[in-house]
Amino acid sequence: MNTADSSSAAAVGVEIDDVQSGALRPRPVPYQGKFVFLHVDDRHAGRALLQRLLPLTSGGLPSVDSNQGAWVAVAFTYQGLRALGVPQESLESFPRAFREGMAARAKLIGDVGESGPAHWEAPFGTGDVHIALSALSSDAAQLDQELERARVAFQDTPGVQVIWQQEVHQLPTGRTTFGFRDGISHPNIEGVGLPGSNPQETPIKAGEFILGYPDETGNLPPMPSPEVLGRNGTYAAVRKVHTNVAAWRRYLRANSSSAEEEALLAAKMVGRWPSGAPLTLTPERDDPELAADPHRVNDFLYRENDDRGFRCPAGAHIRRANPRDATIIGDARMHRLIRRGTTYGPPLPEGVLEDDGADRGLVGVFIGAHLERQFEFIKAEWVNDGNFIGYPGEKDPVAGHHGGTGSVTIPEKPVRRRLRNLPSFVVTRGGEYCFVPGLRALRWLAELEG
Amino acid sequence: MTATAGAAQSAQPERPGRKDGVCGEFTVFTRIKPGHADALREDLARIADTSDNEGNRAALRQIGTLHDARHVIFDNDTRFMFASVFDGSWDTYIDDFGKTAVGANFERVFSHSEGFPGVSDPGAKDWFVAHQEPAGVFVSAYPDLTVQQIWKDQHVNEAFQEVLDTPEFRAALENPANAELLATPAFQKLLEEAAV
Repeated sequence: MNTADSSSAAAVGVEIDDVQSGALRPRPVPYQGKFVFLHVDDRHAGRALLQRLLPLTSGGLPSVDSNQGAWVAVAFTYQGLRALGVPQESLESFPRAFREGMAARAKLIGDVGESGPAHWEAPFGTGDVHIALSALSSDAAQLDQELERARVAFQDTPGVQVIWQQEVHQLPTGRTTFGFRDGISHPNIEGVGLPGSNPQETPIKAGEFILGYPDETGNLPPMPSPEVLGRNGTYAAVRKVHTNVAAWRRYLRANSSSAEEEALLAAKMVGRWPSGAPLTLTPERDDPELAADPHRVNDFLYRENDDRGFRCPAGAHIRRANPRDATIIGDARMHRLIRRGTTYGPPLPEGVLEDDGADRGLVGVFIGAHLERQFEFIKAEWVNDGNFIGYPGEKDPVAGHHGGTGSVTIPEKPVRRRLRNLPSFVVTRGGEYCFVPGLRALRWLAELEG
Repeated sequence: MTATAGAAQSAQPERPGRKDGVCGEFTVFTRIKPGHADALREDLARIADTSDNEGNRAALRQIGTLHDARHVIFDNDTRFMFASVFDGSWDTYIDDFGKTAVGANFERVFSHSEGFPGVSDPGAKDWFVAHQEPAGVFVSAYPDLTVQQIWKDQHVNEAFQEVLDTPEFRAALENPANAELLATPAFQKLLEEAAV
């Protein structure tokens, strides 16, 4: 039961200690980690593995210093739950998007062309991914220790195979492959005792992120049965995305006439400066001091001072992904996500404009209680279209799949700037929808019979 | 409707159907002739298949007052609904439609309904009115805009956006010779739209 002393936690009774730490926790800084996909040949073996993994998982709030320790999260695809022998009635109680899997939803979420499932890296989208395990830490030694424990668990369990692994790490710059600090924004979730990053955000109902509690509609999120399986669980959309950094740099260079212009253009497309300082707070130039202040770096809304987007364009990456209080179609609070981006591959050395052939990008984990209303909606309406901000057909300049025909509008007086013929800067390598059960549910899965 | 000499609609009697601003809704419910549902479905499928085709688009352009329309078979294949939104009154140009591809579609589609006299029959309008069911509520997101105005606005915006993309326009804004024009409230309104 809930033992958190936080009065808000007590008010809604979130059983935070039963929620996997890896579900709600913001990514540490710095970080390194690993994603491991497992295939379960035999359900008894799968359950035996879960028994061995249970001691590695933990629930509850991060310790006072969120950079302490390593944490391991265990999640399951629909095929994984089937492979473990979850009863049919229970399988059918999961929402459709999860049952179908991300590959089946590719068209809807804009994974088409070179980003389509036909081109995905195996085993993404094949149905072979059953269990997804992630481990993240600030401390290399602690991460290694946890990974070693996990490795022993896999090794001791014949009938379960590791079929894919991906190491992730913070680049020496502390920034993404595109050169921007990320991992800044985290929603303010009611009743979990974890502070949001924007002091101006009204807390979002716990049911937007954890199953078993009222959500923003006032109802309980649809929850799989039995209750012990669904309660305190959530969903994670896991994606591996290749970034074409050279193309990004070339596009910026070709569309600006000075280093200053180039930096501003990049910031207009992202919505933040490389340090993470938001354009809405510092529209003219980067402000590393502001960016370094955790109380200020995300302390802003749009409507009062920037509704038309002269500072941060309405189409900028961070404003699309989280429009805050900006004037949009619909209600932004219905489409919040926890985003955890982690970088893979080597950085492209500064100043290089030609692709070096290296694979680099990010593994993104997008967490929420409603795959369709959150992740999928955001991809379809906010990332891959612009109608919601009055720019129909325009896509997210950074994350959208443009295919050489994209356009981006940057508000500017007296005349807006409109960039055309945008290439894609990202390619989806693959993705999976996962269910992240609570700890009691993990035990229930491990103890399934028959 | 006031009788205005020379106006085509002046001869038309008041027609039922709700209005919001410049447009109104026109919804007709009919009974499908026994055994005709499949043939009707095929006719609708043919129209749906060709809805992107030049002919249908050209016909819609020719009509120029139809915002949208839908044909629905319901009630276990026994009933048919045609629901549409027109500028002004649906029957103002009904005779004119008869000569377009849309008129031919109407003829074919409604031929599966009981009692339909044919689009060019003198009693066609009365037959439609007899089968019309006015909406309880009808609202439009753009009550001030006719189809013609929407098309005009689209063309103006496309041209405007093209102008905004020219360096000559930016240069003209900076040219002191244009200061007077720029200072007019009308041009300021234009610049409000130019900036975003």
